Amino acid sequence: MRARWLAALAVFLAASAMAAPPPPLELADLGGRTHRLADYRGKVVLVNFWATWCGPCREEMPSLERLRQALEGRPFVVLAVNVAEGGRVAGDYMKTLPHGFTVLLDRDGSVTKAWGARILPATYVLGPDGEIRIRHVGAIDWASSEAQQRIAALLP
Amino acid sequence: MDRRAFLASSVASAAVASLPWRVAQGQSGWRTFEVTTRIDIQRPSGVSRAWIPLPLSASLDWHRGQGNAWHGNASRAEVLRDPKYGVEMLYAEWSDAEGAPYLEITSRFSTPVRDRAVDLSRPGGGAALSEAERRFFTAPTDLIPTDGIVRETAEGVVKGNRGDVGKARAIYEWVVDNSYRDPKVRGCGWGDIEAMLETKNLGGKCGDLNALFVGLARAVGVPARDVYGIRVAPSAHGYKSLGTGSPVISKAQHCRAEFFAQGIGWVPVDPADVRKVVLEEPPGNLAMDDGKVEAARKRLFGSWEMNWLAYNMGHDISLPGSRGPKLPYLMYPNGETGGDRLDQLDPDAFKYGINVRELKA
Repeated sequence: MRARWLAALAVFLAASAMAAPPPPLELADLGGRTHRLADYRGKVVLVNFWATWCGPCREEMPSLERLRQALEGRPFVVLAVNVAEGGRVAGDYMKTLPHGFTVLLDRDGSVTKAWGARILPATYVLGPDGEIRIRHVGAIDWASSEAQQRIAALLP
Repeated sequence: MDRRAFLASSVASAAVASLPWRVAQGQSGWRTFEVTTRIDIQRPSGVSRAWIPLPLSASLDWHRGQGNAWHGNASRAEVLRDPKYGVEMLYAEWSDAEGAPYLEITSRFSTPVRDRAVDLSRPGGGAALSEAERRFFTAPTDLIPTDGIVRETAEGVVKGNRGDVGKARAIYEWVVDNSYRDPKVRGCGWGDIEAMLETKNLGGKCGDLNALFVGLARAVGVPARDVYGIRVAPSAHGYKSLGTGSPVISKAQHCRAEFFAQGIGWVPVDPADVRKVVLEEPPGNLAMDDGKVEAARKRLFGSWEMNWLAYNMGHDISLPGSRGPKLPYLMYPNGETGGDRLDQLDPDAFKYGINVRELKA
């Protein structure tokens, strides 16, 4: 639970020039199926760390769904990693929010810690090569034209 | 159950346990309250567990715990106490055969009618902490580091101020001036003060703002601690925002803070409640020079109104029997079923209800 949200709109903290390999990510989704980053090699992957107690996380989450819908059919995936709340809390919340993206459970927060996501929401966008191309701390409108353009530019 | 980490102070494997109430009702200058917490695990799946914070069992000059009694259909229920901070909780466990797990616990405690107030102009009582105690109450916790940006900030805040009281007052005034109450924060806030300072976002609730006071104080060597609890009665000082007018207090949790002044003892403070007055006291969004704000600001450095129940002073709590993450603090009922935590911040979903009544002599 070592995390905190940043309410103010922030800028992208790192550009694609700062590409770096991500820490490992192997987590179960709400249905119990295990997901690994390697499963998505060749696609752009947006990894969003969030929690139900984090107000800005809840505010930005609908925009993640709008982004997913805007890029539907393209090689793009959203993985929303719930931080240390468990399937019951995360699942109950997601039932209130129409979504087509995958929700993963970092039950003990260890993956979140490995990724350095101390402040929530924290979002990482990986290019098709699996390297981190964008890091962002704080809530933004992921369906905005600026964000869509930045992500679309990474698509193969 | 990690027997090494938790000590059972009383055991009841049966579904019902009654402890004799310690006699405090009717004692002059004290009020006695009875708080009842009922939990009902919704949609149980597999083994269910619950951890319910209990009132301080100690007898202090501002609090007297009088005991707890409970009943329900748990297969196991016992009072556990963590060895580091002495946090007491009722642990309950239900087998997967139980279709409707429930438990109700009633706790009694007394508080003084008068405010808990410390006269800071009259030191010399000889109160002192041992070196070990001083180290303990200036130590970092998981979310309250005392180095890096916390120490850097604290040293700037207390510059030019001397002594425990001088430094604590400077920190108190700084927190009041630079923080704000954020009504969007769920619950009371988890108090990640390093992140607050790094992001320059000093919004939050009591769990954030009073943790900020504690962390800054500890970082410059002033012993300090959070005290987690719940409001149980209206404010007699006319502050609608600083009390509860309802017998239902399921969402009335509130934490406060103390610092230790050499020669004086533990001093109550509550900068978070000053910001609550600013935001919530009718008509709302009061100016800092509003009379109600100024009066609260003056009063809440050195005194607490005792319309409040203290649970504990613990940090980084591992729930015995759970494989889930540590809690920053235990101020809400916690539960899990089938290995999944329940939402401690959502009484209706969990579900739990907390009620209070004052016992008249």
